[in-house]
Amino acid sequence: MSENMTRRGAIKGLAGIVGGLLALPAARTCKAAVQNGLASSPAPAGYDPFKHKWLMALDVDRCIGCGLCVEACCQENSVPEGHWRTWIERYVITKPKAESGDTRGETFVDSPEAGRNGFPESLIPKEEILKSFFVPKLCNLCEHSPCTQVCPVGATFDAPDGAVLVDKNYCIGCGFCVQACPYGCRFLNPVTHTADKCTLCYHRITRGLKPACVEICPSQARIFGDRMNPVAEDPLERFIANNKVEKLKQSLGTGPRVVYAGLDEEVR
Amino acid sequence: MNTTILTNLVDTLPQFQGYAYPNERTLHPLWGVLIVVYPYITGLVAGAFIMASLVRVFKVRALEPTYRLALLTALAFLLCAPLPLLFHLGHPERCFEIMMTPHFSSPMAMFGFVYAWYLMAVLLLELWFDYRRDFVAWAKTETGLRGIIYQAFTLGVTDVTEPALRLDERIGRIISIVGIPSAFLLHGYVGFIFGSIKANPWWGNVLMPIIFILSAVVSGMALCVFAYMFLCWARRITAEMRCLDLMASFLFFALVVDTTIEGLDWLHRLYSAEEGIDVLRSLATSKLFYTLLIGQACLGTLAPFLLLGTMQLFRRKVAELNRRRVYFASSALILLGVLAMRWNVVIGGQLFSKSLRGFMSYKMELAGSEGWLLSLALLALPFLVLTVLVKYFLARDLPTMENVVPGAAPRGGKPPAPS
Amino acid sequence: MPRFLKMPPQIIRLVLLTIGIVCAYFTARYFLTPQSFGQYGHYRGDALQEIAARQPFWAGKAACVECHTDHAEKLAKGEHKTLSCETCHGPGEAHVKNPAEKLPKLDMTKLDMSLCVRCHAASPSKPKWLHQINPHNHYTGNVCTECHVPHQPNEVPP
Repeated sequence: MSENMTRRGAIKGLAGIVGGLLALPAARTCKAAVQNGLASSPAPAGYDPFKHKWLMALDVDRCIGCGLCVEACCQENSVPEGHWRTWIERYVITKPKAESGDTRGETFVDSPEAGRNGFPESLIPKEEILKSFFVPKLCNLCEHSPCTQVCPVGATFDAPDGAVLVDKNYCIGCGFCVQACPYGCRFLNPVTHTADKCTLCYHRITRGLKPACVEICPSQARIFGDRMNPVAEDPLERFIANNKVEKLKQSLGTGPRVVYAGLDEEVR
Repeated sequence: MNTTILTNLVDTLPQFQGYAYPNERTLHPLWGVLIVVYPYITGLVAGAFIMASLVRVFKVRALEPTYRLALLTALAFLLCAPLPLLFHLGHPERCFEIMMTPHFSSPMAMFGFVYAWYLMAVLLLELWFDYRRDFVAWAKTETGLRGIIYQAFTLGVTDVTEPALRLDERIGRIISIVGIPSAFLLHGYVGFIFGSIKANPWWGNVLMPIIFILSAVVSGMALCVFAYMFLCWARRITAEMRCLDLMASFLFFALVVDTTIEGLDWLHRLYSAEEGIDVLRSLATSKLFYTLLIGQACLGTLAPFLLLGTMQLFRRKVAELNRRRVYFASSALILLGVLAMRWNVVIGGQLFSKSLRGFMSYKMELAGSEGWLLSLALLALPFLVLTVLVKYFLARDLPTMENVVPGAAPRGGKPPAPS
Repeated sequence: MPRFLKMPPQIIRLVLLTIGIVCAYFTARYFLTPQSFGQYGHYRGDALQEIAARQPFWAGKAACVECHTDHAEKLAKGEHKTLSCETCHGPGEAHVKNPAEKLPKLDMTKLDMSLCVRCHAASPSKPKWLHQINPHNHYTGNVCTECHVPHQPNEVPP
C-alpha cells in the first residue's frame, strides 16, 4: 500500500515539474502579449544618456522681461493654457521710508500670464522704485529631487543626463510630486491628467538643438550647456567662472543644479 | 523679509492675492476635499480598532458590548477608504501600478501594502477568529443566502471544540497586539505623506504624523461612542452606562494627549518663528479663521474637552441621562472637529503660495469629482456599509461583561434577526 | 501523516489562503510590470525615447545660418548678435523643410508689443545695458526701419 502511494506520489511530482517547465514559455508568451498592450514604443537610436550632463544657468542681469522664452516654450511643448513650464517673475523693490533705517521698502512680485506677453507697466510709480529686475524660473534640475523621491510608482525620474522627466504613459496623476516641488515648477496637465513640467526640451537636446527658451532668448539670459562635453569657449563654463552664482532654496537640501547670477535676497 | 501682501490690480485674477507661482493659480486645489475625506476615514478605522483592542489586549472587560461593533465599524470604513483616492487620481485605471512597481522612497507607495496588510492580515483575520464559532453555529441554523454566506465564511473549518476555541482566543489576541502598530502605520503613513513635504512649511513638520495618529485615535474612539449610542437607540435597547463612562474616560484622555501635541506644534512654530511664520499666521487668522479657530479649536477641541473633563470630575453628581447627552454631543463635536482638522491641514496647506508671498482662494463646487456632493456621499457610504454589516453580523443582544465566557455559548448569541 | 498537517485546521486553511494570495500577487506583478522598467532606474527605460521622440517646433539659428550666411555675418557684428533668427522672424521649421515656402515679411510699422517695442520699450525693471525708448514719443515716426537696421543696429539705413 505504501509502495503504491510513493510511486503514485512520484509520478504526480514528476508531472508537476514537467507541467511547471512547460508553463514557463507559455507564461512568457502571454507576458509579452500583455505588455505589448501596455505602453511601449520603438526607440530612436544614437543618443546615450550617460554621456551627457545638461545644465541651464540664468543671468538675472541680462533678462529683459520680454517673455519670448515663455511664448517659445508654450509653442514648442503645447503647454496647456493656465499652466507653465517656465515663467518670468518681476520684482519691484521700493525705496525705504525716510528715517526708518531700513535698507529697502516693500517688495512686489508679479508674473502676469507668467510673463508670456511681456510685462505691462508696473503700478508702482517710477520715483518710488529702488530697484527692479526680472527672474526667469524653471525646473531646477535637482540632484536629490524631492519630486522623484515621492513618486509612488516611478513615473517621474532623474534621467542619467540630468533632466528630470515625467513618463506620462505611466503617471497615475496623484499630484504628490507637484506638492513636493518647492519651486512650483510642476503642474497637473488637464489634458493628459498626469504630472507635467519642464523637460529641458529633451526632444531638442537629444538632437543637438538647444531648448526652445534658450534658442529664442534675445539677450542670452539663459545659458545652456553639457557639463560632460563642453564646446570650445563653452558659454556655461565661462558663466560659472566669471560670475558669483547662487541657487534657489538651497536650505531645503534638494540639491538644485540650476545656477543664477545676480540674484537678490528677495527672490524665493 | 520686509514684505506685505498687497493686491496687484493688474494681476487681479479671482484666484490669488499677493504673489503666487503661476502654476499655483488653479481653480481648484490640487489635493481637494477628497484628500480631506481619505485621511479622515482611515483615521476612524485606526481609532475604532484601538478601541476594540482595549478589550482584547488590555482586557478592559467593561467595553465588551462595543468590541464587535468597533471591529465592524473599522471594517466598514476600511472598505470604503480607497474610494476617495480612486476618484482623485488622474488615471485610476493605472492604480495597480502602485503595487506592481512601488517606489519605496515614497510614503504613498506604502498605501497598497499597508492597506492590504491591515485589511487581510489584521482586521479580517481578527474578525474571523472572533466570529468563527458563530459562523459555524449560524451556518447550521440559517437557510438561504444568509446560510450560504455564513457557511462560506467558515472557510470549511467546523472545529469548535474547546481547544480550538482557546486557540482562537489566543491567536485573536496576538493579532490584536500586532494590529495596534499596524493601525498606527495605516494612518501614520498618511501623516508622513504630509510631514515629509519639506516644500510646504505648513505640512513639512516632524510632529505631523504623530498629530495625525493621535487625532485619528480620538476620532475613532468618538465614532465608537457615537455608533454605540446610535445603535442602541435604533435597536431600542439601553446603552450600558458603565461601558459609556469608561469609553468617555478613554476618549477624554486621548483628547488630552492629542490637544497637548497639537498645542506643542503651534507653540513651537510661533516660538521659533521661521521664515514662513507671517504667511502662516495670516493663514490661520484670516483664511482659516472659521475652520481652524472656531471649528477645530473651539468647537472640536475646547468644548468636548470641557464637557468630558467635567464629566470626569463630577461624574457622580451628574444624572445618567445628562451624562448620555454630554457623551453624545461631545463625540459628535469631536468627529466634526477632527474633520475640520483634516480640512485645515490639507486645504489650508494649499491656500498659501510656496513663494510665501501670497494666498490662493479656490472655488468649492457642488457637483463634479472634487465637489461637495461626492464627498458627502463618500462620507455617508461607510455608514451604509456599517448598517449592512450590523444587520448581518451583529447579534441583537450585545454581550456584556458578565455574560461573556470564552469557550462557552457563542459570543454572538442568536444570529441577528432576519429583516 | 507528516507533522505539519497536524496543525489545527484553521491555521492550515489560512496558510493555504495566504500562499494563494501571495502567488497571485507575484504572478500579477510578473505580467503587469512593463518590460523596460528598471532599465536605468526605477522607471520605464522606454520613457526616455518616448519623450525624445517629440518633433521639435523651432528650427534653431544654426539651421538658418546654413543658408543665410550673409545675414548671419552682418548680425554677428552688431549688438543683435545674441538674437536667434526665429526670435523676430517666427518659427522657421516649415521654411527649412521646404525652402520655397518663405516666411511672412515682418510688419515694422507696429508700435505694439509684437516686435521691436516688446524688448525696447522702456521700463524701470529692465537692465541698464539695454537701449530703451518710450515708444510714444520716440521721434514720433512709426516705422523703426526708417532709422534703424534690425540686423545691424549700429548702422543707419542707406
